Amino acid sequence: MVRNLLALGLLMALAAPGLHAQKEPASTAKPAANAVDPGAIQALKDMGAHLQTLKRFRVSTELTGERVLKDGQKLQHIARADMDVARPSRLRARMSSARGERELVYDGKVVTLYTPAQKYYSTAELAGTIGELIERLEDKYGVELPLADLFRWGTPAAPLDKIESAMNAGQDFIGKDLCDHYAIRQGTVDWQIWITTGAKPLPRKVVITNRADEARPQSVSLISWNLKPAFEDAVFRFTPPQGAKKIEIVQRKAK
Amino acid sequence: MKTSLGKLVVASWAAVVLASLVMVPVAEAQRRGGGGGSAAAGGGGARQGAQVNSSKADVRTNDVRNTSVNNVSATRNVNVNVQGNSGCCNNNGWDHPVAAAAVVGGTIAAVGSRVAAPPPNCVPVNYGGMVYQQCGATWYAPQGSQYVVVNPPY
Repeated sequence: MVRNLLALGLLMALAAPGLHAQKEPASTAKPAANAVDPGAIQALKDMGAHLQTLKRFRVSTELTGERVLKDGQKLQHIARADMDVARPSRLRARMSSARGERELVYDGKVVTLYTPAQKYYSTAELAGTIGELIERLEDKYGVELPLADLFRWGTPAAPLDKIESAMNAGQDFIGKDLCDHYAIRQGTVDWQIWITTGAKPLPRKVVITNRADEARPQSVSLISWNLKPAFEDAVFRFTPPQGAKKIEIVQRKAK
Repeated sequence: MKTSLGKLVVASWAAVVLASLVMVPVAEAQRRGGGGGSAAAGGGGARQGAQVNSSKADVRTNDVRNTSVNNVSATRNVNVNVQGNSGCCNNNGWDHPVAAAAVVGGTIAAVGSRVAAPPPNCVPVNYGGMVYQQCGATWYAPQGSQYVVVNPPY
């Protein structure tokens, strides 16, 4: 009898984890009702609102990206961008990668793209705010600005109601800054963001994973801030250096 | 045999751990120097005159498949999905990892080949933020100190 009871107890003990193990795949297959954690969405809203209050700053990013070859092998590359910003409508960006260096200068009326190595520059008239510059550069010329997210978060250009899953993933240090870590899922894209804790939340790291390719290429951007920059307004005016040559910029063609 | 292999594995792991320990301060220093505190960095110009030379890169490195979208903007993806036109490979991030037009082998035999300088009669043009050299039917894109032949970008 005792032996039977023991055996039964053992059986139950063995069966119990089995039951749990069976349950788990079912719950991950179907997202819970609260897949979108309101706290995570609020954190994005708070960060966006704070970003929109910044008037004059320098921001830098070090990006590690991946490209996938035909057979699924991945190659990493790195790029760097430094941006001087004076809201609402002035910006200067310097971008460098293995392919070369480029500059983008915007004074609120005219945008200039400059490649120092060849001393070629192109200009386009795009009067407006930095936000408008970003959208028009992409739509009209297929030119993507570094860290465009920083100017979209906190505006209708970054809708939060289409997010399918959002969760708090704990905390971690990025450099010396303590950050809250959030993981977001939407469509074929997973992204993660590390936001500094406290009353003035800033993004310090962003990871984007493309699930549309089974190799899942990923980009990692580390973001550093200087909210008391020393630059003068002159950085937003482009004066062609001696020997510079103006070349045509062609509008983006539909594929 | 087994133990020596084990030792080898341990040794190589130790090397990895050591290397990562050594690398941390370097990365830290770069980060501090570049963005945060010191505004004196003055952009990405500090390369001491050295130039990238990828002439030894295998041609297979240009054979990027078209599902390989290099997402560098979280909000852009959001908008793309809303509009339902994902899968576009025209725009591959501000970092332009690879000559956009070299994506997946083309029919022009010379695509992927490199030259020190394009012929003198070429016309420079900016497309998608990158400067190309158009020489009749042949297009060149700058890559470090050289030029690589690419498919026409448009």
